[in-house]
Amino acid sequence: MRSTHRLTAAVVAGVALAAGACSSGTNASGGSETLRIAAVATDRAGTEAVLKAFQVKNPKVRVTTSYSDTDQYQGTLRTQLSSGTAPDVFFAWPGNGNPAAIEVLAPTGYIADLSSRSWTARIPAGIKPVTQVGGKTYIVPMTFVGIGALYNEKAMDEVGAKAPTTWSELLAFCDTAKSKGKVAFALGNQTDWVTQLVDYALVPTTVYASNKDFDQQMKAGSAKFEGSGWNTAMTKYLEMNERGCFSKDPLGTSSEASVAQLAKGQAVAAVQVTSTLSQVKAQAPQGTEFGLFPVPATDNADETHMPGAAGGAFALNAKAKNPEPASKFIDFLATPEAMNAYAAATGNLPSIPNDQFRLDPALQPLVDYQKAGKTVPFMDQLWPNPKVQQAHFTGVQNMFSGKADPATVLRQMDKAYQEK
Amino acid sequence: MAQGSAREVTEPVVPGPRQAKGNPVGPAVAASRRGRRTRRAPAWFLVPAFALYAFVVLLPSAQGAAFAFTDWDGLNPTRHFVGLGNFRDMLEDPGARGALRQTFIIAVAVTVIQNAIGLLLALGVHSRIKSRNVLRVLLFAPAVMTPVVTAALWKYILAPDGALNGMIAAAGPDSWQQNWLGNPTLALCSVAGVVVWQFAGYSMVIFLAGLQGIPREVHEAAAVDGASGWQRFRHVVLPLLAPATTVNLMLSIIGGLKLFDQVWVMTGGGPGTATETLSTLIYKNAFQFNEYAYSVALAIVLTVFVAVISGGQYRLLRRREVAAR
Repeated sequence: MRSTHRLTAAVVAGVALAAGACSSGTNASGGSETLRIAAVATDRAGTEAVLKAFQVKNPKVRVTTSYSDTDQYQGTLRTQLSSGTAPDVFFAWPGNGNPAAIEVLAPTGYIADLSSRSWTARIPAGIKPVTQVGGKTYIVPMTFVGIGALYNEKAMDEVGAKAPTTWSELLAFCDTAKSKGKVAFALGNQTDWVTQLVDYALVPTTVYASNKDFDQQMKAGSAKFEGSGWNTAMTKYLEMNERGCFSKDPLGTSSEASVAQLAKGQAVAAVQVTSTLSQVKAQAPQGTEFGLFPVPATDNADETHMPGAAGGAFALNAKAKNPEPASKFIDFLATPEAMNAYAAATGNLPSIPNDQFRLDPALQPLVDYQKAGKTVPFMDQLWPNPKVQQAHFTGVQNMFSGKADPATVLRQMDKAYQEK
Repeated sequence: MAQGSAREVTEPVVPGPRQAKGNPVGPAVAASRRGRRTRRAPAWFLVPAFALYAFVVLLPSAQGAAFAFTDWDGLNPTRHFVGLGNFRDMLEDPGARGALRQTFIIAVAVTVIQNAIGLLLALGVHSRIKSRNVLRVLLFAPAVMTPVVTAALWKYILAPDGALNGMIAAAGPDSWQQNWLGNPTLALCSVAGVVVWQFAGYSMVIFLAGLQGIPREVHEAAAVDGASGWQRFRHVVLPLLAPATTVNLMLSIIGGLKLFDQVWVMTGGGPGTATETLSTLIYKNAFQFNEYAYSVALAIVLTVFVAVISGGQYRLLRRREVAAR
């Protein structure tokens, strides 16, 4: 009998412990209003920074937060939305192309229309299209992210090179780095999303510099990936590989490994998303400085464009259980104070530019290109479904293992584009 | 697993005392024979447990499976009935055919190699060599680790500048170094190798239990009859290991067909689609492509494959077991 009691006690204790451990964090401040927020783990620092400022101004609002990794986050959010248990305010992706992007979420009626808010007028034209669906605004974009070549200034000095501004200079830069026992670009193509970065860096110049309407033409069916500037970009990607621009065996190298190569200076540069900068800096020896250059694709430096897009964003649940604090929080996110806190914590630029933001000098080229109107949204943000991007990932990996050529990959992307 | 529960339903039996501790398969047969002879428990004893199982497992599974006949994207409140459309799409999807092929290759390779190595290890640590208990613990240790953790470690070991290529560089010519996970031809072998590395010790333990259950007298009788070492192994040990073999083959083929964690962590199905398995394809369709209904259809196909293959294998091996007795 006694052992039965002990067993019962143990089971009860176990369940209690599990229940305690599984509940998410609460920033309680003893008010009556409650606000539930969910975001991806990569944007935790930014979200927390904004919440801290929000709670100073709204001490009565109780906030519950939960964070998870991208894959898990998207799955959980979709389940919560369809079962009516979603948080009041949640992280969502601009444009289309992934399961929690607004083009996917808006038609279901689960996210609230924010068009009437005054701050929507301040969203820059370059990113406006990806914050809207059918002319209505559905998110507060928080950050502006670019893709370019992040470089290690010390390694650049060691090989005696400078940032290339034309395609010929870029190939010469590869040769110089190689002759000095380093690689020009670290590349971690084992991680699927890394495979797209070089193409994304080249396509703004090879496609959009001469044809701003490429996306509309794709949508209308009058343009295709195959035979477009995409083919030029992919051919150049392979040319860089054959020239020895990339680190050894990119397909066996993960994103983390490539970031480490750049941080330690084994590689001079890496074509990456600018938000990776904080990760690179964290791994680099103290005092290492980094810079950024747009990847040239032609021999005319003036033609060079750069991918720059709205990164993270937040949406308001159309059926929010606590609509009033949720609405207040959404408006707060759009203030320069919140934008700057978020951008500083995540190592990005604020999506709505303002004078109070203290910029990391390494990111200056991105700001200059944004001001000059020479940025192009990330290509997948305007694709109709996530399969196009997946076809791109798989295709690049196949190209690098010699199992496909650019034309085949682009045909597969066209096929995926035409699916619903 | 499914087999076991089906048998419990049709043949309710009060387990004999030996069944709890003894060899997992052999005595179960004996116990069921004994049970049939002595007393049968009334079938309605099963009702509470079955009701709970139905509510927690069967009903939700059936509800989930129903999505395979719709076009639901996992989010939209509306969905339409599309009949067998998703299954037809599967036939035309080269990705699904490839995943099926890779899944079979991995399952067969893992089953054969893991059990061959497991048997050799069991024979090794069953002998009177010194420190055999330490060896048993060491060889079994990988099996208690989480697959995600071991896969993440192996991903570093198998990287182009990882530990394995480092060791090869120190020992042999550079041409022996390989891009273990980045070469599409090698990647599938590398993944299978890691699974075998992790679970060979697990097979070993089950074989070892079988070996320890073989009475010494049988060995002695065979030796007296003049049987050589190989003859004793082939005609005495191997037949008596049949129950352990059944369990091992079942577990490894089911594990191989369902393989997900190791593939996902080490290659994500790549390079290209070289290591895509049915499980990774199911995951991608459900959570990355918004093709929830299609992924459920794939999952149903996987379930049927696992049930048919493991069920067929079980019947075949059990018949051999009985014949060996």
